[in-house]
Amino acid sequence: MEKAALEWRNVVKKRERLDLGPVDLKLYENYITALIGRNGSGKTTLMKLAAQLIHPDQGQMLWFGETYPKGIPVEIRSQIAYVPEHYAAEEDGLKMDDAAKFRASCYARWDWQRYEELLHRFEVPGDKKLNKLSKGQRRKFEITAALAARPKLLLLDEPSSGLDPFAWKTMMNEIRRCVDEDGTTVLLSTHVVEEVRRMADYLILMDRGRSLGMAEKDLLLERCREVWIPQGEELLDELPGIVESAVEMSGMVRFITLDYGATAILLEEAGVKPIRVRALELDEVMEHWMNGSMQLTEAGMKQE
Amino acid sequence: MRIPVQINESSAEPLYHQIESQLRSLIVTGQIAEGTLLPSIREFSADLKCSVITIRRVYQDLENEGLLRTRQGTGTFVTKVDTDDREAYKRQIVQDVVRELIDTARSVGYTPDELRALLDETLREEERR
Repeated sequence: MEKAALEWRNVVKKRERLDLGPVDLKLYENYITALIGRNGSGKTTLMKLAAQLIHPDQGQMLWFGETYPKGIPVEIRSQIAYVPEHYAAEEDGLKMDDAAKFRASCYARWDWQRYEELLHRFEVPGDKKLNKLSKGQRRKFEITAALAARPKLLLLDEPSSGLDPFAWKTMMNEIRRCVDEDGTTVLLSTHVVEEVRRMADYLILMDRGRSLGMAEKDLLLERCREVWIPQGEELLDELPGIVESAVEMSGMVRFITLDYGATAILLEEAGVKPIRVRALELDEVMEHWMNGSMQLTEAGMKQE
Repeated sequence: MRIPVQINESSAEPLYHQIESQLRSLIVTGQIAEGTLLPSIREFSADLKCSVITIRRVYQDLENEGLLRTRQGTGTFVTKVDTDDREAYKRQIVQDVVRELIDTARSVGYTPDELRALLDETLREEERR
């Protein structure tokens, strides 16, 4: 059985604008999990719980299988890096390298070589004060510092906001490379579909403070297809997972199924050859998932 | 290093299976040479925009077939392919395409004789070129 780097166990948290939970989720070691959902669905609250910036009202948080209600000890803290959506103001007056020195003192595995290398690749000029950096530069510094810490658990709250497309691509490559080298577990909250496609192994969908479950990305995407067949509207009643269908011109039938594997087998048995099959985009998949049309079972969403 | 694997999203074939059969074919036909170090699981998955879970499964399956070998700390390598296997495999690839051809011909109402005639004619045309 795979080990969990992070776990929300029956966690409830009341916030000003949101009641979160109860949430039960696990992040398995060495995977990248994307946290997706609309604004205000509870993604940042989950992140803050994971960074222990806030404590649950009920339930427990577990880091590497342990719970630390009185505060995460220094040696464990030093294995967790967090890039928040909004930065704390305390470091603002510091020069970049001084801020880095401070962080190096918090992280036992801090890697100066990686720090220099990443700043170079991100083309961030050294020696500036943090509050003098542009939004994008500040973001690059924060990501650099998080990766230089060589964390075992990396929490990224919308890391791509403020980055231009080139910096964004570099960021994804570097995160991936570091994660690969260090065996890091990553929680990545994002609205960027392409980021999910390129980075994620698992997806967690949040909706109004609730988790709609966790799915293996490839299995989820593989199930969702738009199919065109020459005719045979009557077939639709027998096909599984149909969420949308229409009779188009010349009697052609178009439908969306969330269970393409079983659908393809039934079509073949009926001797029907699809005219066209299209994979749904991730945002379309998310929509059906949010509508509750997707039946997610633990077993159905994991490869054996 | 990149590997020329192309995912067909309209195929009903599961993703891991598509990647596996294409990678197997590249290895057995010798297009990826013996001893080649393959990309790490994370790299390959990013390249194909799929999850590491899928790629791990592919590497593991091909390792079980003896086509790949993983050395702790260095990575996954292509092993030596037997000549008999290679010949059998080439045949297999062509046969798969022929099956598809038969399928398509049947779906538009061609008889076996008509298909044979068309195949012969096309072969002759290709030879004349």
